[in-house]
Amino acid sequence: MENQATMSEFDSILSSRGVSRRSFMKLCAGIAAAAGLSQLAVPRVAQALEESVIGATSGNLYPVIWIEGASCTGCTESFAQVETPDVASVVLDLISLNYSETLSAAAGHSVEEAKAQTIAAGNYILIYEGAVLEAFDGNALRVAGETGITALVEAAESANAVVAIGSCAVNGGWMAAHPNPAQALGVQQYLEKVGVTTPVVNVPGCPVNPEWVMSVLVDVVVLKDMDLLLNRLNEFNMPGDLFTQTVHDNCERRGHFENGEFVYEFGSKEEEMGYCLYPLGCKGPQTRSQCGVTLWNDRRSWCVQSGAPCIGCCEAKPSDPGDNWVEVNTPFYKRMRNLRIGDFEFQPTTIAVAVTGLLAACLVVHGFGMKISGRMDGGAPFEKIRKWDSKHPEQEIGTYADPVKGGPVESEDLVHKNADPRKKN
Amino acid sequence: MAHLAHYKEAHPLPFVITHWINLIAMVVLILSGFLIHFPFLPFLMGIARGCHIFFGFVLFINCVVRVVMAFFVKSAPTGGTRQQVTDFKTWLPQKDNRHQAGAWITYYLFLKKEHPLGAKLGVPQKISYLLIPILILIMFWTGLCLWGVTMNVPCFLATTNLVGGLMSMRIIHYFMMYVFICFMFIHVYLANVEGFEPTKLMFAHKEHGGLVYDPDLHNIVGEDRDVH
Amino acid sequence: MTRSVIDPITRIEGHLRVEMEVDNGVVADAWVSGGCFRGMELVVQGRTPEDAAQIVERICGVCPISHAHASSIAGDKAYGITISNNARIIRNLLEGAQFLHSNILWLYNLAALDYVNPLNALNANVAEAYAVAQENNLALHSDLYQLYDKLAAFAANGQLSIFSGNWFDADNGEAYKLTPELDLILTSHYLEALKMQARASQMSALLGGKMPHIMTSIPGGNMWVPTESKLDDLLAMATEVRDWVNDTVLADTVALAGPYADALTWGKGCGRYIAWGVFEGNGWPYGDNYIEQMKNRYLPMGVLDEQFGVSDVEEHLITEYMGHSWYKGDETYTSPYFITDADYTDYNVDDRYSWVKCPAYDGKPMEAGSMARIFAAYVRGVPFIKENVDAVLGILGAQPGDLSAFQSTLGRTAIRQVETMYVADLMVEWVTELAEAIKGGDSEYFREPERTTGEGTGFWEAPRGALYHSEKVVDGKIEGYQIIIPSTWNLAPMNAEGVHGPLEQALIGIPVADIEKPINALRTVHSFDPCTACAVHVTERGTGKSFETVTSPWGVK
Repeated sequence: MENQATMSEFDSILSSRGVSRRSFMKLCAGIAAAAGLSQLAVPRVAQALEESVIGATSGNLYPVIWIEGASCTGCTESFAQVETPDVASVVLDLISLNYSETLSAAAGHSVEEAKAQTIAAGNYILIYEGAVLEAFDGNALRVAGETGITALVEAAESANAVVAIGSCAVNGGWMAAHPNPAQALGVQQYLEKVGVTTPVVNVPGCPVNPEWVMSVLVDVVVLKDMDLLLNRLNEFNMPGDLFTQTVHDNCERRGHFENGEFVYEFGSKEEEMGYCLYPLGCKGPQTRSQCGVTLWNDRRSWCVQSGAPCIGCCEAKPSDPGDNWVEVNTPFYKRMRNLRIGDFEFQPTTIAVAVTGLLAACLVVHGFGMKISGRMDGGAPFEKIRKWDSKHPEQEIGTYADPVKGGPVESEDLVHKNADPRKKN
Repeated sequence: MAHLAHYKEAHPLPFVITHWINLIAMVVLILSGFLIHFPFLPFLMGIARGCHIFFGFVLFINCVVRVVMAFFVKSAPTGGTRQQVTDFKTWLPQKDNRHQAGAWITYYLFLKKEHPLGAKLGVPQKISYLLIPILILIMFWTGLCLWGVTMNVPCFLATTNLVGGLMSMRIIHYFMMYVFICFMFIHVYLANVEGFEPTKLMFAHKEHGGLVYDPDLHNIVGEDRDVH
Repeated sequence: MTRSVIDPITRIEGHLRVEMEVDNGVVADAWVSGGCFRGMELVVQGRTPEDAAQIVERICGVCPISHAHASSIAGDKAYGITISNNARIIRNLLEGAQFLHSNILWLYNLAALDYVNPLNALNANVAEAYAVAQENNLALHSDLYQLYDKLAAFAANGQLSIFSGNWFDADNGEAYKLTPELDLILTSHYLEALKMQARASQMSALLGGKMPHIMTSIPGGNMWVPTESKLDDLLAMATEVRDWVNDTVLADTVALAGPYADALTWGKGCGRYIAWGVFEGNGWPYGDNYIEQMKNRYLPMGVLDEQFGVSDVEEHLITEYMGHSWYKGDETYTSPYFITDADYTDYNVDDRYSWVKCPAYDGKPMEAGSMARIFAAYVRGVPFIKENVDAVLGILGAQPGDLSAFQSTLGRTAIRQVETMYVADLMVEWVTELAEAIKGGDSEYFREPERTTGEGTGFWEAPRGALYHSEKVVDGKIEGYQIIIPSTWNLAPMNAEGVHGPLEQALIGIPVADIEKPINALRTVHSFDPCTACAVHVTERGTGKSFETVTSPWGVK
């Protein structure tokens, strides 16, 4: 009855704030909950806190450790843009994000303790963002007084799976591009190197598309079946359904490609008509990802829709940091990558045309030579004898008028044998 | 001022046909390839892609047919004779050419004045022609690695991954085209530099007289003045 | 004397360690260490300015657009391009969308958890919370009952998720001072902010394809071409974010100011500020007069001394020193001729202790960030800023014009809301401006380079402060690239004279009751919104010898 009084008191507040009828109805249930649940919940939290810094070690939420390696935080940022479900629902209703350098309320040793407790409790997955850096014995990345590689190995060893998100985590990303000063490489390669056998799931992209991360989490967290996830993986341990078809396959501008309607200049009239960006170096035809289907930022847009050619940020071969997307795709606005010999870089066309041109020039020069030496019209006279034959008269191949001096074996019969059409075999 | 007689037996009709097909397919493939790579005539994109795929298959099948025919069709082992052997034997090292590689190279470098004696195909020629079926095969294979319809077939996917992804594959396919172009330059040049008779024979089956060569004696035996 | 260490600092971008000497409950000395070296400038070497604009934005996932723009401006200058008016507006829109995203995310999702305890919200009387909100003019966009249920269900499950190892019990339970009702209301804003920062990023995505790491801004202008339906979407989103911002951010900050008033008394920092200016002004173009261009930005350039005296930036006064960082040598280099050779030695606060280098302006450490920008705009007389800063000063009980009232941890946190509101308003204005320009027949978005060899410097601002990109281009390829990031200024280690960097200075003197959980240090660090992902990088002179050793095939020494 007390509650009813509170309700009427609130009517004006609610209406002035435009609270809907629906949420008003919710309010009634909420009050009941406030009376009931709060008394249950608060001691539960207090108790959990006394037991450990991460609360209960099991429950409805799947424990997750999210480590940022050498990252720009872009993948966390990207994940924070997820709208279906929104990120708050993910961290409150789906996963227990016990360690996240960007979202954790804790800091310093207590967040490290949360990580240690989660590792000790086991049955968690590790999400790793950013590259693994090996330079200076791993000191190119230092966290909590130790190297980044130590932290990775500790967390990966006991994990059910490691999800390497973003192209940096898959094979070093842009950091691995020439000259790779921090000696970046991917999670899978590093763990293989140090003998950690936890399965690695690679989800490339710069940044990773949050919907792809969710699709991985759905298998593990919602459907609770790790095999579903592992069975989806292709030869690069990437979810095959996401990274088999090319951007070109699913591009909204593909029709214009087929029609031969192209944008040749940024921001042009053709761009306004949504023509194909292929002549501007779009890497869609050689980049395997579902961007055009998943879209970005709550399906608001994607690169090609905004008028930008694909720059192939999902290109990442886990076993080879040299095959990182920057190295493979620069210059971004040319059809093909630059090739590199040391510090000398060139386009494939340049070298190919140069070699072909050189050859053609040689042929022309040679042609003049042939002309000058009088070989153009029927060639030079035949040699009388093979050089080898003249030196080895007893083993000679040909039969000559003279075994040393050579010369044709003039024979009318043989001419007939070889030249007479009726005589042919 | 001397060359061997050009007889039809050197290039039997089936090979004239496959040679024609090779020529057309390669030219169309190169042109359509350029149109796809540099879309300077955008309205031709659809046609170019269709042609490229179609003639890719034509070239490959033609290549297979030509190789198979080599085991059934007979051709003259050297110029200047109407005698014939099963064609594939002319692909193998022939006695006429033995120890002659140096002679050919020095001849083309103008270090040797006289034309070397040899089989239908000189040593450098033979090696380069033998490479052509391999080149066609590589081109066909890399093409299928890039073609949307076949790119994910396991064998092609594995090849793509082996060379470092689709970008590398694209560049390999592109470079190979220049290898073909270079081959064609050299081929056309060498075939015609001493006169157009070989071309007339290859394309139109038009014979021309000249010195007669006996493949058993491995030497010139006289001259045929009856054919002009 | 006791040592207190926070490592890692969470709720920032990147890896940061803070070490403090605590004496009688007050920080006596402090060292800030950036934990990661990636080598961005070496990677763009030899690539095109267009590629560089795309690559360098990968420095930071929170402010990629600023890097893309600073790089694009440097590219524009090197190429001799003045971008079209439409491209200017679109770049402003992109940058503005990112500022909104970043400022909202920072206040609520990164900094707020230093002040707000969502678990304490479970003790709230929800009905009371509505009354408190009404009374304090706090925004109510969410159903608090629903939220309470959500939190209760979360608590009942017992797993703490992002609240694992929290510091809510710091300072013997005295650190978090809000009533449960206020905690509940602000938790609702925490969750709304997650949606709003995403909404702001959707504007970036509309204009740039995706966010983080937009695709459309490169030297020459912008690739995005507006259509009616895109403009309409943009306007709707800009309006939505603006309305939420105006309704929420300032009132919330004021609500924090009461209980946390002591945070207005410490955390000043070095008291000198730099802002290179951001959002190109509408008197476009400015031709070759770069100073005029920067002064006419919506948030103008300004270098401020201790007395808030303003002067124009002079590039040659920017220097970098690395005697306390993990790079070879201990010389001071003058812009734009920096040289760097990464060389990790050991973590030793008496010697070298950070991957962050030590930049200086006119030989002194400088603070960058929202506060610096707002101070510069105030001193330069930007009307909206003047009016609102004075209003906030009134709320804080200070005299109008007394900018020193902001020189503290909470002041730095509060003043940023003025910027957020300013940008939110401008966004709507710019959409209209763009629509009008198009109506007037202007359809130019991109210009080709005038030349392929040249040098250019991009003075710009990221949400977290002054950003500098400089490049030398020869035949369309980069021969030298330098970046000085805002957080490099703020997180600088000691300089050659042993003077601490701005954040270190701000930390010295703050009260620390519990050296295990030095919450006030965390609050102070977060007030700078540090971003070490971008603070650590390496600069080098294009042809310098040190570059050789780094690129040696036998690896980095």
